[in-house]
Amino acid sequence: MSIATAPLLLEDTPLGPKAGGLYRRQNALVGLIAGVVLAAIGWVISHALLQGSNWGSDMVVTVTLTCWVIGFNIGIGTFNAPFRWVVGKDSTREDELYGAGVGQGAARYWKYCTDHKVVGTQYFVLVMVLFAIGGTLAMMIRTQLITAHSSFLSPGTYNNIVTIHGMIMIIATIIMVSGPFANFILPIMIGAKDMAFPRLNAMSLWVVVSAVPPLLATFVLGGVDTGWTTYAPLSVQAPPAMDAFAICIITFAGVSVTVAGINTIVTVSTMRAKGMTMSRVPIFAWGSVVSAALGLYAMPAFLTAMSMMITDRATGTSFFVNQLGGAGWLWENVFWTMGHPEVYVILLPGTAALMEIASTFSRKPVFAYKAAVAAFVGIGSLAIMVWAHHMFTTGWAPNLATPFMLTTELISIPTGVIFLVLIGTIWKGSIWARLPMYFLYLFLWNFIIGGVTGIYLSDVPADQFFHGNMFTTAHFHYTLLGGAMIAATGAVCYWFPKMTGRMLNERIGKTAFWFIAIAFQVTYFGQFWEGFQGMPRRIAFYDPIFLRANQMSTIGAYFLMLGWMILLAAIIVSWRNGKIAPANPWHAKSLEWKVQTPVPLENFLVDPVVTSDPYTYGEGVPDGQNQPSAAPEPELVPAGASESTSGGGAS
Amino acid sequence: MSFEQQFDAIENEITEEGDAPPFFSRPGGKIFIIWLVFTAIGVVIGVFAPHHLLPGLQSGTGSDVWATIVFFTVLAAPVAAFVYALAFYSLLAWRPKKSGSSDEPPPDGPPQRGNGPLTILWVGISTLLVIVLLVWGMTVWSSQQVAHDGALQVNVTGQQWLWTYEYPGTGVTSRTLELPQDRPVEFNVTALDVIHGFWLDTMGIQTDANPNENTVIRTTPTTLGGFVVRCSQLCGLNHAFMNNKGSVVTPTQFGNWLVSQGATTSAAAKSADVPESSLTPSSTSTTTAAPMNTGASQ
Repeated sequence: MSIATAPLLLEDTPLGPKAGGLYRRQNALVGLIAGVVLAAIGWVISHALLQGSNWGSDMVVTVTLTCWVIGFNIGIGTFNAPFRWVVGKDSTREDELYGAGVGQGAARYWKYCTDHKVVGTQYFVLVMVLFAIGGTLAMMIRTQLITAHSSFLSPGTYNNIVTIHGMIMIIATIIMVSGPFANFILPIMIGAKDMAFPRLNAMSLWVVVSAVPPLLATFVLGGVDTGWTTYAPLSVQAPPAMDAFAICIITFAGVSVTVAGINTIVTVSTMRAKGMTMSRVPIFAWGSVVSAALGLYAMPAFLTAMSMMITDRATGTSFFVNQLGGAGWLWENVFWTMGHPEVYVILLPGTAALMEIASTFSRKPVFAYKAAVAAFVGIGSLAIMVWAHHMFTTGWAPNLATPFMLTTELISIPTGVIFLVLIGTIWKGSIWARLPMYFLYLFLWNFIIGGVTGIYLSDVPADQFFHGNMFTTAHFHYTLLGGAMIAATGAVCYWFPKMTGRMLNERIGKTAFWFIAIAFQVTYFGQFWEGFQGMPRRIAFYDPIFLRANQMSTIGAYFLMLGWMILLAAIIVSWRNGKIAPANPWHAKSLEWKVQTPVPLENFLVDPVVTSDPYTYGEGVPDGQNQPSAAPEPELVPAGASESTSGGGAS
Repeated sequence: MSFEQQFDAIENEITEEGDAPPFFSRPGGKIFIIWLVFTAIGVVIGVFAPHHLLPGLQSGTGSDVWATIVFFTVLAAPVAAFVYALAFYSLLAWRPKKSGSSDEPPPDGPPQRGNGPLTILWVGISTLLVIVLLVWGMTVWSSQQVAHDGALQVNVTGQQWLWTYEYPGTGVTSRTLELPQDRPVEFNVTALDVIHGFWLDTMGIQTDANPNENTVIRTTPTTLGGFVVRCSQLCGLNHAFMNNKGSVVTPTQFGNWLVSQGATTSAAAKSADVPESSLTPSSTSTTTAAPMNTGASQ
């Protein structure tokens, strides 16, 4: 395409030497230093005042790590804009452009950058770092379990690793789709120039970054020997590491997920392109919005629970201690009020991304779009009513077993609809067997197994055998790793060309895929076997009757990790030297493929006008999700374009 | 266009004018055959595998676990097999050769945006299955909740990191769990410090031991033999070692065991529900492990 007068890209705007103000001096290193300095001040003051009192060390750890989180965020620039607003020095346009990363090259990836694409990329790297840490911890667990009485880890270290592996993976999986893709891709998909609240967007990322060090600090603060569920009263008695754990959760769940969720919902609600009705938005937007809404319901419960936990530990309240008049069951209820919706927060955006993949790589419209939307909303609504199935065997309210069995089993109806949508989209399509499609098939295989094993657990009599047993561990790894994370990996392969500007090396990627696909089955069938034999979860030493099953699982786990490392190698190699990607390598029809790669700041040179949904495959009509890209002047877009442009059949 | 010809040849789609090919050479028919095979495999695995994988079950509630797994697997097998059959067939029949390495997409598929009756049928079938699952679960669960008169009472107390079993009325407190055969048992489960999980895997019952709370679970051991009680709730440093042995014995052996643990013959006979004359005073001929065995070094 030749454009007579190329429009000025925003990132080429010349900025004055003072643009950005304080932002010019702030980056991750400054945040780190500010966090450490404030934490040191907090430690000195709290130690002088509080150490030696009844709950001194808990208070000191709480104050110190809270100071770290606040200090890091001061240093990185989270509070700049609100502060300037308060003192009446609101940001100028130049400041905003500087904040969006104009003229900073690669350095903007280390800064508080408001460009949603930078935030998405930062999230992408952060997720991979978190998975690397969590995966390493998983390898340590499996190595410990390769023999019945291994001396590789002490029981205390093992318990802490079990806890931190769980929590870090929960954090990573919550942000693995809603971070990279709902930030980078979603606004472009719906024709928006950025997220609704760009500064909150950057905040949601850097708050997660500041929440991770307290989680890792648990290793030097005595360890959290409770598992990530941190059941009281064991967690109330745990070493001060538990306070660090709680600070991490409050920061991550209470601030970051909430802020990010509001941002996603407001963006999709208010910033869609002209003509993009709610039945024309790509299905990924629906999955992201329902997931975000569910997160808004779930995460405050986690915030509340962990705040009460800290007061129990650091000030001597007794919300959760039976012996002092509290109730451990209260903890369990509040925890699972968060804990079950949370798994659907993880799952929904990934499955929605798979629907995009199924459509693009079968060259067919998404099958039963409205049923898919109904399934997301149905899952989201039912997910808040099933939490007590985690408590079937706790002794709390046996009479409520039946209603919770009902809600739990009902949720398999909308989940079944998701399967119908996926296989209905594949039905008689033309399967383009590129890498993202591989992961769709692996998802179908794994998630069926995860679902079928889930119905045993939903049944109280069978749950009395499987609860707290390795079978449960294998089940939720089949759904969360084999299901949600495989879906997210498919999404990575799908959107990698748009995010990095390069094609993912599919030869290495497909090698990785086969390692992951096969080793995953070996690993978790080993754990199903352990569970059937009666091995409890979270034990560092076991009865030798479980030996062979454990060895099968450990060997599988090593190859699984190898597979992920090969995939990581494919990502790194492709990102550095991969083939330059065309703007639309998949010949897909949604808006993110209509903008140029790399995507310019504010995405669209001309406001797009949408006349159909992005699934017009085989309908013989012009593509309805066109960016009129050749027109340099925004004024040229006629206001009533949706009437005159020939559109496809909107569903 | 060679691809499209190949595509049509494989697919053998019914054309509006042409004769309909036989059912089994159409995609639906082929998928149906694959589905039957997959379902059969699933049903065979579901019926035969659990028996080999589960530990030797020792009570009716234990058999409920086995029956539930078998029943649910048989019920789920057709659904799972349908998804697998369609996915499998799509890779064989609808994937153009070399499409994996092509930079150009294959031609568009049919613009099929949904199928209302099929969606309704799908939702209907899954609703029906859910109702069956629920009825099964409710029936079995309520049958497990029935209290029996004259059930043997056992007070179970968990603490870091051992279990203590008290037999009220006999003065016996033990760290091995002896249960008489064919006698309903009620476990009153509590804990001293943190939450533990009292789990009799071979009997298919489990409940948490909560401090300051008493939780009742019931079963009737039917099969003689030993078992291991394992803690199922992470309870701190030595959670992995919190297990100990137990066994199901005949009522007479149980009475004798109570006597060997220091119960009077009359109290033991009353608790074991056997005639006093059948018990040997101060007998040590029990078949079970030594008392106060924490089971940590099994």
